[in-house]
Amino acid sequence: MQITQDSVITLELPYREQLQIWRTTFDSGLEPGRRGPTVAIVAGIHGDELEGLYVCHRLAGWLEQLNATRPEALLGRVELYPALNPLGIDTLQRFVPVFDTDLNRSFPGHPKGLLPQRLTDAVMRQLTGAALVIDIHASNVFLREIPQVRISEDFQDTLVPLAREMNIDVIWLHGAITVLEATIAHSLNSRGVPCLVVEMGVGMRITPAFTAQLMAGILRVWRRLGVFAADLAVPELTHEPVVADNSNVHYLNAATSGLFVPEVDHWTSVARGQRLGSIVSPHEGRVLSEVRSPVDGLLFTLREYPVVYEGSLMARIMALDPAMTSGRGAT
Amino acid sequence: MTAPTLLRMTAPLREDFEIAYHDVGDASRPPALALVAGIHGDELNGIFVLARLANFLNSVAAGSQPEHTLRERVIVVPAVNVLGVNVRNRRWPFDDTDINCMFPGYDAGETTQRIAHAVFELTRQARYRIDIHSSNLDFEEMPQVRLYEPQPAERETARLFGLPAIVELHTQNVFTTTINYSWRNDPGENFVIQAGHAGALQPPICEQLFRSLVAFLQRAGILHGTGVSSDDDAVHYFAPNQTVPLISEHAGLFISHQEVGRWLQAGDVIGHVFDGYSGALRHEVHAPVSGLLSGLRRQPLLFEGDLIARIQCRHAVVDGIEIHLSDQGQ
Repeated sequence: MQITQDSVITLELPYREQLQIWRTTFDSGLEPGRRGPTVAIVAGIHGDELEGLYVCHRLAGWLEQLNATRPEALLGRVELYPALNPLGIDTLQRFVPVFDTDLNRSFPGHPKGLLPQRLTDAVMRQLTGAALVIDIHASNVFLREIPQVRISEDFQDTLVPLAREMNIDVIWLHGAITVLEATIAHSLNSRGVPCLVVEMGVGMRITPAFTAQLMAGILRVWRRLGVFAADLAVPELTHEPVVADNSNVHYLNAATSGLFVPEVDHWTSVARGQRLGSIVSPHEGRVLSEVRSPVDGLLFTLREYPVVYEGSLMARIMALDPAMTSGRGAT
Repeated sequence: MTAPTLLRMTAPLREDFEIAYHDVGDASRPPALALVAGIHGDELNGIFVLARLANFLNSVAAGSQPEHTLRERVIVVPAVNVLGVNVRNRRWPFDDTDINCMFPGYDAGETTQRIAHAVFELTRQARYRIDIHSSNLDFEEMPQVRLYEPQPAERETARLFGLPAIVELHTQNVFTTTINYSWRNDPGENFVIQAGHAGALQPPICEQLFRSLVAFLQRAGILHGTGVSSDDDAVHYFAPNQTVPLISEHAGLFISHQEVGRWLQAGDVIGHVFDGYSGALRHEVHAPVSGLLSGLRRQPLLFEGDLIARIQCRHAVVDGIEIHLSDQGQ
């Protein structure tokens, strides 16, 4: 096994410093024909989403341990890109600093374009040919998400079978949206490189339990793809996803502004009419608005940041067929 | 008199906030024209010009300008992102959302979706719809009409502003959520005006813009009268393949003595890039083609891969890079 670190692009900053995207690679070193596929993890596209960075750390540790114990079990190549927006992470900014650009609306990029486009072009060049890319996101600072994979209906035939083994809780199928064609996932999938988008946790935080859960799924899928020897032991799957789509996801937006105080835990079964929380006024003792579930279902998104404006999203609930409700929601 | 509001919402700890607009002319008729500015809270030229224009139109409607008559109804929204204006934030300050990425909006959705929905519903019924922008904090645009995949009638109508440049561009994926794009689904004509740069109020540009809007009102038959309209300067029309962005291959401190709106010859010096530590000249920036300098960098700190200038050519250009300034919102 060969372990290397390199940067896939170097761009000059105005005063003496450079912007680089770093990659850690674990390669079997086998010659073509005998070697397994290349897979990659990309994270940190948004500078305030840290869950993917920790996943990279844990995967690197697992692979380093493999190198110490059974290096020949790596047949393919694993590339970890913990921070596609390193300047954003280093300065705690979601978007590309100075350019104020969402890097995940800048794909597939251009080698002679603006800085964000040069970053995305460099990444796309490296990832072309991969057997699977997993793009890990961590919601934002407002909402906590249960581990889930989001898939455009355009690519569901390829991606849903992979996602089912990812040890996540929800697969969310969504319709094609033009603006999302500038994401890394769409750009890769439309070029024939399977890319799964993982959302989990909350911005500016890490959730070690989610990391361990996702790691089991990632290692399982990689082994299935032939990145590892078939007899290599990987953690067992502990979660089976339910499938959400636009027909069964309900959004709960704030009826008024104030402080949202939840009364239920994230990722629990809720009943139609059940009180999930309330919006209160800091100025007075009364409750401004009660937040109730419109359906029987699973609470898979819950607001983490208490201040809400009228319209702020507080929760998302996946409606369940009553016959399916029992037994769901356990973590 | 209470100003009409297109939206009134609660705020977590402040008073309720509202987005006020001007509704001038016969309110029983559909508006002939809707003007919107301040979707980005730091673009002040458009806000000031629309406030001044509303003042003028209200005085016409009140009979205080006997040499003018308002023949049609006009909607004017000087600032959509009210909170952003007040706290000097380009985006919606609470969640950092670009309101011009939320159209056509949704009245039961997120806060900015509700704002977008209300603005869209108010303006969509107008025959002419104009969204005014002022680039961003780093880059200055000469006053120009922007057209995105226009109808033939829009190409002709764009000349009525009398602004020196009409620039036609392709719509990129990231701009399919703008108000201009959403307007296209309704009958009518749509225009984006870019003028100046954000974070500043530029009196000469505001004057030019004000006169061009009054000229438009007159030439489109919405306002009758004389005396304020724009001079009939030459109007230059540039197709999508006549725009050349000049992107830096060097980082450092950028200095330019050029002004937007000038015609350049190929090889003319646009500026210089210096090393901010050693002081050495790193690069002399030349115009790669002859043409109109329609946009120029005002921010001296320059990254590799930064936009320095935009030049409009008289002839089609091969291999023009389609760049997107997503932070310009257009």
